[in-house]
Amino acid sequence: MGDSELVEGRFQQLLPAELMGKLERMELVSRKIFRGRMKGERRSPRKGQSVEFADFRNYTPGDDLRFIDWNLYARLDRLYLKLFLEEEDLHFFGLIDNSLSMSFGQPSKLEAAKRLMAALGYIGLCRGDRIVVQGHSQASRPAKAHRSRASLPQLLDQIDRIQPEATPSFREAVQSFCIRNPGRGIVVWVTDLMDKSGYESAMRLLMARRMDLYVIHLLSPEELQPQATGDLRLTDCEDGDQREVSITPGLLARYQERLGAFLEGAKNFCQRRTISYLPARSDLAVDRLVNDYLRQRGLVR
Amino acid sequence: MTWLSALAPWQWAVMAAVPLAIFLLYFLKLKRQPLEVPSTLLWRQAVEDMRVNSLWQKLRRNLLLLLQLLFVAALMLAALRPGWSGSMGSGKRYIFLIDHSASMSATDVAGSRLEEAKRLAIQRIDSLQRGDVAMVVAFSDRADVKQGFTQDTRRLRSAVESIQPTQRTTQVSEALRAASGLANPGRVSFGGVNDVQVAEAMPATVILLSDGAFPAVPDVPLDYLTVDYTPVGRDEVANAAILSFSIDRNPEHPEEIEAYARLGAFGPMADSRTISLYRNDQLLDAATVTLSPEEESGVRFGLDDVEEGILKLQIDGEDALAADNTAYAALRPVRRTNLLLVSRGNNALETALATDSVAKLAQVRVESPNFLDGEEYRALLEAGEFDLAIFDQCVPKEVPPCNTLWFGIQPPGDGWKLQEPQGPLLVLDWDREHPMMQYLELGSIRIVEGQPLVPPESATTLLQSDLGPLIAVAPRGPFQDAVVGFPLIDHRQSPPTVNTDWLIKRSFPLFLFSSVEFLGGGVSLSHARSVPPGESIALTMNRKYPKLEIVAPDGKRILQDRGDQQSIVFSQTERIGPYEVFAEGQTQPLERFTVNLFSQKESSLKPQRELSLGEETIPEAVSTLWGRRELWRPLLLLALALLALEWFVFNRRIWVG
Repeated sequence: MGDSELVEGRFQQLLPAELMGKLERMELVSRKIFRGRMKGERRSPRKGQSVEFADFRNYTPGDDLRFIDWNLYARLDRLYLKLFLEEEDLHFFGLIDNSLSMSFGQPSKLEAAKRLMAALGYIGLCRGDRIVVQGHSQASRPAKAHRSRASLPQLLDQIDRIQPEATPSFREAVQSFCIRNPGRGIVVWVTDLMDKSGYESAMRLLMARRMDLYVIHLLSPEELQPQATGDLRLTDCEDGDQREVSITPGLLARYQERLGAFLEGAKNFCQRRTISYLPARSDLAVDRLVNDYLRQRGLVR
Repeated sequence: MTWLSALAPWQWAVMAAVPLAIFLLYFLKLKRQPLEVPSTLLWRQAVEDMRVNSLWQKLRRNLLLLLQLLFVAALMLAALRPGWSGSMGSGKRYIFLIDHSASMSATDVAGSRLEEAKRLAIQRIDSLQRGDVAMVVAFSDRADVKQGFTQDTRRLRSAVESIQPTQRTTQVSEALRAASGLANPGRVSFGGVNDVQVAEAMPATVILLSDGAFPAVPDVPLDYLTVDYTPVGRDEVANAAILSFSIDRNPEHPEEIEAYARLGAFGPMADSRTISLYRNDQLLDAATVTLSPEEESGVRFGLDDVEEGILKLQIDGEDALAADNTAYAALRPVRRTNLLLVSRGNNALETALATDSVAKLAQVRVESPNFLDGEEYRALLEAGEFDLAIFDQCVPKEVPPCNTLWFGIQPPGDGWKLQEPQGPLLVLDWDREHPMMQYLELGSIRIVEGQPLVPPESATTLLQSDLGPLIAVAPRGPFQDAVVGFPLIDHRQSPPTVNTDWLIKRSFPLFLFSSVEFLGGGVSLSHARSVPPGESIALTMNRKYPKLEIVAPDGKRILQDRGDQQSIVFSQTERIGPYEVFAEGQTQPLERFTVNLFSQKESSLKPQRELSLGEETIPEAVSTLWGRRELWRPLLLLALALLALEWFVFNRRIWVG
């Protein structure tokens, strides 16, 4: 049974079949090595039973006799235990900002985020990693973890069900997420960082959990280059805040200034905390995003 | 500040609705296109970046409304046309010189020129600022200070209102000198040292409201005076005028009297006018004269059987100035001096008194010294019959109550003293100014013997010889006594001998004529004198009449007490017309004179556009200075500026959101 067959209809959009081939050759890279719960395809800090030799150590009574290096015993007449690297699974957490503001853009930022998350999830599934994907609004519920390619449809279904809705603030959402997902691992947070209460506390929370955090800052072209003209009453889709503006080149220049400062601020904040910060446009194709962009940034290889 | 609404009430109503509409529209606000955005976070930041000062923002929120309302307010103010008359700095000194001469009565402008000048003056007084002081001087041929320097505009206004037209001619120099005296510091010289300025200069502006009908004034020092001249009156004014009117005897037919008049036409006037001549208000004659502009023409009337009376010449029809359309001439009342000559027989004297000239003046009665003792003499004296008595070497018991002339004898009483006879006498000098001695040449006369005079203190010496005064005149109450200190013919010797060769000189009859004229108060000219309005006239009257009544043309009787004076000076000649002098209680006039304008300057009504005062030429004041100072132009500019500012603010507002 081909994996591509599992992806039908609506999933086709999230994870196109032609992309899957490319993704299968990739793997998620963590800059940190984590303990897994199950044997996986990754090296684990635990010494285990994999084929890769790690070290020797003195035999102590009770050790598994199978791991005694008999050749060494013959030469040195001392018992040494051969240690092997344990290969374990990687915990991959995908956190999608599904606040209302993510519904903007063509395709919407949320759509782009979902596609990205589907691609990353597939990479993880192919490598036997433990994949958890949640939206902000579901962060308070425990999420089902996916481990194998077989669970791809379930993963896609789960991703597909993430819809824009009123969400708690970043801090609350991240806090819930951390409580529900106690393990350590890679966290990929796809968000537009547009929260009036700020994103900093949310990031600090994740860093306190010693997560390997990737922030993919997704902005739509409308936000990067506003095309609006005339006298407008701007309404914030989340809190209904209204701003009356009359668009002039001067105002647009000032907006660009603020936008630049916003991006710069996020970048600086992340750099100082070894958070990988990846700004991205929502209209960028997913394969390009994953192939070139994320690869350059070192999230995948 | 006065207001002059430019809009009708209903237009005002529309206007008033505009700010209301702006106000409402402002609250309805601009209809903005709604647009939902992911987040207003960045927009808010972009907008608030520039909203540093929230107070300024609050103000700014309503700034547009404010500016719009101000704009409309400025427009409405402009429509109200606020303004004021003239503009002068504060703390300045102004001298209003207002011409009220005859020509200012011209009616070429509404009311008269004087009314117009008064209106302009009041306008200007109203525009005086706090601290300005001004004075009001009315001038014609003299200056009349109506109001001294004051800040009280009410008093200045009433002073201007009180100026009445006169029929006088114009002389601005006196008024200017008065103004100059107030503005320019006096100077004092201390022997040989340079002039010292004794007071601080008080610069002043002379506001001269006149038609400029006065001669150039070359010698007025303006110095600190600034003259602001506004001509009053229109340029093209038609006026016909009588420039002179006189009567005289026809030299060829002495019984015939001729009346001459010179007529002038000024301005655009070319038509024939009827000239009427009246005597005592009865039409005597009339003539038609064709007048052409700026030219003079003459008219002559021959009159028979006119002995005395008042002649009036009138140009019929109306023109801008009425005062010069009528002229008067008077034939003096016939009156001869009663003269008494008391002499022992003096052919020379009698011959000199028998000339035609004296005969016209006086009726001479010759008597011998015995007459002085008779009853008739006393009776005649009591009746005041004689005006002048001449005593030739004979003396009455007392000085008669009339003027006297004595030859070679000491008048009775203590006043006069004659020294001992001495001779020969040489004439050193004589008083050429005295009416009795005018036109006399006495240097060559020889006198054999004479008695130098010791005249009373009040006497005037008329002839001075090497040994003392020889002819003198002295007042005695209302009368005059003249004494000649040498006899003409010496009766002390027998036969009488000629004492002087004066008798055969031309100066002798002339002296007697002058004496008769001066002492006798006779009337020698048939036509009375004429003076311009306001000019004083000296009237020589017989001293018999201590009180005189002068009847002015308007019928006003002016009582004049002559006191001890030989002649009286009458100065109330304000009105044009004939004046008659009566002795108190008498019905027959003693004397007549007339007051006529006869001034080309006054009759030529074209206002002077520039004046020559001192060394300066004063141009006509800029007329806008007089016009209403309007504020609507600056207000409109302000409205435009507000509009521009509003546009700017509006754009700034968009700039920052």
